[in-house]
Amino acid sequence: MKLTSKGLLNRRSVLKGSACAALGTVATPAILRAQSSEIVIGCAGSHTAWMEQIVAPHMKKAIGADILFEGTKSSVNLEKMASNKDAPYLSVVQMDDPVMIQAVEADLLAPIAADAVPNMTDLRPGAVHMDGMWCNYVQPWAGVAYNTDFRSGGVSSWTDLWAPEAEGQLIIPSLQNTEGMWTLFSAAMLGSGKPFSEAQYEIDAAFEKLEELKPNLLSVYTTMSQAFNLLEQGEITMLAGNFSSYTLPRKATGVPVDLAAPSEGIFAMPSGICLVKGGPNPELAAAYVNEMLGPDMQAAIADFASSVPANTTVTAGAIIPEGVPIYSPDWAFVAANRRAWIERFDKLMAL
Amino acid sequence: MRRLEHIGLLALPGLTFLAVIFALPLLLLLLKSFQIDGQVSIAEYRLFFSDSYNLTVLWRTLRVALLTTLLALVIAYPTAIAMSRARGIWLSVFLVAMVLPMSVGVVVKAFAWSIIFRTRGVLNDMLMSLGITDAPIRMLFTESALIIGAANVFLPFMVLPIYAVLRQMDGRLPEAAASLGATPVFRFFHVTLPLSLPGVVAGCAFVFSLAVSMYVIPSLIVGERQQTLSMLTARSFLYLRNEALGATISSILLIIAISVVLGSSWLANRLGARS
Repeated sequence: MKLTSKGLLNRRSVLKGSACAALGTVATPAILRAQSSEIVIGCAGSHTAWMEQIVAPHMKKAIGADILFEGTKSSVNLEKMASNKDAPYLSVVQMDDPVMIQAVEADLLAPIAADAVPNMTDLRPGAVHMDGMWCNYVQPWAGVAYNTDFRSGGVSSWTDLWAPEAEGQLIIPSLQNTEGMWTLFSAAMLGSGKPFSEAQYEIDAAFEKLEELKPNLLSVYTTMSQAFNLLEQGEITMLAGNFSSYTLPRKATGVPVDLAAPSEGIFAMPSGICLVKGGPNPELAAAYVNEMLGPDMQAAIADFASSVPANTTVTAGAIIPEGVPIYSPDWAFVAANRRAWIERFDKLMAL
Repeated sequence: MRRLEHIGLLALPGLTFLAVIFALPLLLLLLKSFQIDGQVSIAEYRLFFSDSYNLTVLWRTLRVALLTTLLALVIAYPTAIAMSRARGIWLSVFLVAMVLPMSVGVVVKAFAWSIIFRTRGVLNDMLMSLGITDAPIRMLFTESALIIGAANVFLPFMVLPIYAVLRQMDGRLPEAAASLGATPVFRFFHVTLPLSLPGVVAGCAFVFSLAVSMYVIPSLIVGERQQTLSMLTARSFLYLRNEALGATISSILLIIAISVVLGSSWLANRLGARS
């Protein structure tokens, strides 16, 4: 009663208090967002191990960022960016070059600038694309993964995939997965008889050669971990298009697998990193990219994931097999034709 | 009557939830399938049905769903009879056995099946050691493996409706038939089975609807070479970035599922009225 009589708890003060509380409630998320140290990174499912063990702890220490990452395929990351274009929730995305091209075409990326990301100036030539729309950060090499218990001689040539003794012993990636392109381009080289630079455009020859592969195929995968599991179990003896950042760490744990570099050539996996246009926490996102391109992270990831670093000041990481050409295709050509190729491939491989 | 109307209000939260989370998005999807460049068109449907690959996928989806339903029914019916007659601890054991596997994720189950079905796996070893087969049979990535796996996942949805109907059945009816000289087979086909049909229809509707729209199970068990409508939908949205095609396939899938649910509901009502 005393409080009321002094006006401390009258109708006006209650209304005022309610208004302040309502304003506080509405304003709080924005304030918290502005001060948040959390950024969401889209990456590949196969990145999970090193994102958890290396990147997340480093980013907390170096730039004070709490990293949340969503590991999935590049094309799914692209769809997430496109669906949330008006209100992006991803700040940075790590995905493959052909999908980066589609993201640029859809106006989903913000350019990476050297003033906010100084480490990009140390990258090797060709690692910065479309005036900084994305950068390659590490580069695993891709060949043919095989089970060492069942193929002690390894895989010396891409033609081994077509050998009659490999009947039912092979799984290849779908063209929905970027690594699926390696089987397609190998088929193009073998089918057309031309060098890679020309063969990569001989898609009809590639599909004709791929048709001959069908008796040897146990399956076509979109989920790589499941296919790799079958390779480890010996259910298949070869997994085409696999890459050093996945096979070699598994080999190091004692699993009977290895990665072959067939004599016709191996492929450079196009691992890119980009800033999402209008993504949350842009300063922290730029700091994240800068760290990813910096010598510490480059050395750590390259070592962990057996990849070639993009930063020229770093000497760690995988060694590209000698005496074998390494190819990087015309990704613009891939991006322009990929949808049609996926439909054609699915129909060709269907049972 | 007024009291019934008031009781009907209790369904309001559920109906609102379904309207917002289920019906509205599906309606938008349906509309999208008839829109091409802002114009109303059935071109996407015409395109879908003119492609023999899509028709193969449609037929495979229906065939797998039908065979999964059939296999689940064959396994579930005797189980439901046993459960309906079980009492005490045995009934609890049956119920736990039905519900517990549902808590294990499909991904885990799919990996477990790959251990059983693989060429050098448990099943092939057993068949060869028993002298049934001379060499390993390829089971992984086959339609048979998919049907067995799907029936395994959806089994509780078949068992529980049949069990619920059998449990309510008057146990004196088969006894009366027996007292009139009916053999066990005659009693089953003329008393038990007709009375349990509403449960069978409900179970079949559940399993068929789930099987026709399953995505994760075929993706993991048969892979990309034997696509189903759900896999085509995902491919259209995520990889081809063709929303109109994705919406069209989703709508076709929806029409199939709605037809099955309405048809089975009508059948269950008729059978219920007759029995």
